[in-house]
Amino acid sequence: MTATTPTPPASPAAPASSTSPAWKGSSPLLQIRVLTARSMRSLATDPGVILFGLLQPVVILFVLTQVFSKMGPPPHFPAGVSYLDYVLPAVLVDNAIQAAVQSGVGLVDDLKNGIVARLRSLPIAPSSLLVARSMTNLARSTVQAVVIMVLAIGVLGYSPRGGPAEVAASVGLTLFMSWALGWAFIAAGAWLRRAEPMQNLALVAVLPLMFVSSAYVPVADLPAWLAAVAQVNPLTHAIDATRALALDIPGAGAVLPAMVISGVVAIVSAALAAVGFRRPM
Amino acid sequence: MITPAASPRPNGDIAIEAQEVTKVFGAVRALDRVSLSVRRGTVLALLGHNGAGKTTLVGVLTAAVPPTSGRAYVAGFDVARKPREIRRRIGLTGQFASVDGQLSGRDNLILIARLLGAGRKAAAARADDLLELFALTDVAARRARTYSGGLRRRLDLAAGLVGHPEVVFLDEPTTGLDPSSRLALWEIVENLVAEGTTVLLTTQYLDEADRLADSIAVLSSGALIAGGTAAELKARVGRRTVVVTLDGAHTAAVAAEALRRASMEPVAGPDTGVIVVPIDASKDIAAVVRALDHAGVEAEELSFREPSLDDVYLTLAGHRPHPARLVQGADA
Repeated sequence: MTATTPTPPASPAAPASSTSPAWKGSSPLLQIRVLTARSMRSLATDPGVILFGLLQPVVILFVLTQVFSKMGPPPHFPAGVSYLDYVLPAVLVDNAIQAAVQSGVGLVDDLKNGIVARLRSLPIAPSSLLVARSMTNLARSTVQAVVIMVLAIGVLGYSPRGGPAEVAASVGLTLFMSWALGWAFIAAGAWLRRAEPMQNLALVAVLPLMFVSSAYVPVADLPAWLAAVAQVNPLTHAIDATRALALDIPGAGAVLPAMVISGVVAIVSAALAAVGFRRPM
Repeated sequence: MITPAASPRPNGDIAIEAQEVTKVFGAVRALDRVSLSVRRGTVLALLGHNGAGKTTLVGVLTAAVPPTSGRAYVAGFDVARKPREIRRRIGLTGQFASVDGQLSGRDNLILIARLLGAGRKAAAARADDLLELFALTDVAARRARTYSGGLRRRLDLAAGLVGHPEVVFLDEPTTGLDPSSRLALWEIVENLVAEGTTVLLTTQYLDEADRLADSIAVLSSGALIAGGTAAELKARVGRRTVVVTLDGAHTAAVAAEALRRASMEPVAGPDTGVIVVPIDASKDIAAVVRALDHAGVEAEELSFREPSLDDVYLTLAGHRPHPARLVQGADA
């Protein structure tokens, strides 16, 4: 026997049988299920969370449609489309971004809450919590999108040219983008471990970015320098793709690139998140 | 209990074994060749002030912090190679309660049991058992964030015990607790040990170590400076002390120098301007007074103490290769 290299004890079952682990451990799938149920519970018991998330998209929806519906359409506005029909896809994208930011904020909450310290001491895959966070926020953005659609159709009379299937596809696209962007914010949360930078970003960056995009006015109707910014603003492309689906107007070619880019963002961010999350507290 | 040069590998009777564990964070040597072993079914108290490296050592032993060098085995598994096997067999209660404030106490325990692989029914049954054991049944349905500090700590400890761990780590379990909660927690620990669980607890409280521990390891600036039973430690220092309070660091340095000239071994006390002087007999108090008088130093307060773990700690810490800053400051 080599004296220099300590070898692990011969029998892993050395502990007395009365104190051997009571349970066999859980699969990653079960871990994700249990942890998703956990974070969903705070969503269910705290409806304020969803209401708060709906605030910005819904206020914008009502304010803009009320303000601009009385004004004539700008020169490059698509023909035969009401302002409500035009702006709703942008509201859905706004909702997607807000929910995505909340993915990161939720993770930071978990880190502060103490539960993460507990989970680290358990024989589970740490990234289960990240996936659970992501699933929870997908559920959250879905609920919010449904509320927005119900308000838009029921109260404001949203009736886009695309049929129910096209409208559902447009909602689905924003949910997919929300899920993907959510991973970026989960990665940010795992590295920064503070919610303020993300919340500030959502507050300070998202609103101007929405205005400097095709969200509320066609890009061609923006002043030249704003139009130039809007052209490279990824939000423009996300909104155009969503809008093309819902309104059944040209531009659906942007859907596939939007999905591919979202997918890449999700994969890269998830990897970064897993690495960042593994760092000790 | 504390073996400076550990055997190559732990035998079945050893629940926790650290061999020359060193952890370096950047320029800070948080742990410096720490070796210790804890027999199955016993309690080791890791004693040290803030920043002594207690939490880092717990981190290494719970497979949360990889050691820079050295090896550690817990429940027979290498922390570096089998972290998951270790996590299946340990319970951990940190300095800050690690429970989900959003969930009820009961749901916290069920969540952990489920993650450990228990079915729904078994998880609920285990949760209810622990709630009863920790007298939490009345508040079981309340969200944990509404709990008082003592309740939270109890829930946290219960959370650490869900999986029937064979080794339990308690990192400053009673910090911030009121006296009665502290006492209740001590009783829980004693019951655990009576059932054969091995416990490693870190503490700044000497009475806690004295009361609960079979053996005590004293950690200072990342290095183990002493180990043994409470009685052994007291015997090792074996002296009564005079505590001299002076009006500042400078006076204290002058006084320390004067005492050293009188062949005494003064060490820095817990506060600035306080010196602890071990003495052999009561009559040596006079020698302390004479030495101070001779140096023209006037003590603000002079008190005599029977040996306590506090003095053990101060004396041993003062005798480290790096002398305590106050005494060293005399020459600097």
